[in-house]
Amino acid sequence: MKSQTSAGRILLIIGRVVLAAIFIYAAYGKMKPQGSMGWSVGSVRVSLSMFAMEVDSYQLLPTWGVNLVAHALPPFELFLGLWLLSGIALRYSSVITTALLAVFFGLLIRAYAMGQQISCGCFGPGEQIGPKRLLIEGGFFALAVAVTIGAFLVHRRRSMPVSAPSAVETR
Amino acid sequence: MESRLKGSWRPRKGLLRPGALALAGCVMTLGANAGPVRTPVSKTRSAQAAKPAQSVPLKTYGSKSAPITFEVFTDYECPTCRTLYQQTLRPMISEYAAAGKVYVIHRDYPIARPDHKYSGQASRWANAAAEIGQFGKAEAALYDYQTSWEQDGSMEKYIAAALSRSDFERVRKRMSGCQSPGPGGLPGTFVPAPHPCSLDGYIQQDVELANQLPLKATPTFVISYKGRRITTATGYVSWPVLKQFFDNLLRQP
Repeated sequence: MKSQTSAGRILLIIGRVVLAAIFIYAAYGKMKPQGSMGWSVGSVRVSLSMFAMEVDSYQLLPTWGVNLVAHALPPFELFLGLWLLSGIALRYSSVITTALLAVFFGLLIRAYAMGQQISCGCFGPGEQIGPKRLLIEGGFFALAVAVTIGAFLVHRRRSMPVSAPSAVETR
Repeated sequence: MESRLKGSWRPRKGLLRPGALALAGCVMTLGANAGPVRTPVSKTRSAQAAKPAQSVPLKTYGSKSAPITFEVFTDYECPTCRTLYQQTLRPMISEYAAAGKVYVIHRDYPIARPDHKYSGQASRWANAAAEIGQFGKAEAALYDYQTSWEQDGSMEKYIAAALSRSDFERVRKRMSGCQSPGPGGLPGTFVPAPHPCSLDGYIQQDVELANQLPLKATPTFVISYKGRRITTATGYVSWPVLKQFFDNLLRQP
């Protein structure tokens, strides 16, 4: 029983580290300088405005909404990735991650169903939406759900009252 | 907005077969080894009949010395291409190309599909107009009246209305011998027209450039800054968002 619990905890750690890596890499892909530009405020601004073009290609939001998402999402992904990596309040970070991935997955399915041949904008420019991308995003979502369930199970086990061994009781 | 709901074009192999059968006979007569649809560019009859490749792009707006180059591959029957032209390219041309900030290069990518049977012919008209320096008017007419001429291929009357009488006569002269249907393309291929004309060389060259990307759907655009390719994107982008990208790019050294 004890070995099962520790195996579960190890899986949970692996799961959250993988999710953290996905989010940190996604943020990096959206903010990294394009072409041969070096890292600077200006080059990050260019990258974020390029990400705005990808958000715009979904044809869902007005210009102000596109700009808000394009400038807020990559820093938030970075924050979420670091939060997952820290393991602090995992139940909350995993719920937010699952909700975010559900939204992403839904948007990709919508775009694919509408026949939009656009870049998904998941990890930076140039990734077309197709069955492979949908499968990958579905996998990320499933992983996030598993980590969330694991986080809640671990929390419940921790918060359960520890019953003392009977031998101690008799003494 | 109707156009915002429509997706951009993507190739569907199954739909190509009827047209491909007709082309098969043409290619086989010439002794080409390639299949009926995926005919290699170098072995097509139109490649032999075509004009030598132009060294300077023919269908452009703005100054070549502009820091940003916006190269767009479109099909004249693609609805998203029309939306991109009307809502994004038009203001870009009047504001940023005119101001010397952006050099716009139009590339033809006529699609070989039954519901796009006139796009090759439309490309020929656009190239004929470009040869006399009237590409802008021809492109505007083709996109603005796309839903009208795509029914029956009657783009000639819209081109005629857009040009002066003398210019139209010059364009029509260049179109002599260029019977419909025009050529089409698919990623990795160039489908020659049953009756190739001298203008097909321009289209063929554009399709070859598209295949080097490689192009997966229309519209596709390539953005370069001071000679360095920055990004390649597919689909619609609104002018305010694209303009913001250009402004950030222009602030770069």
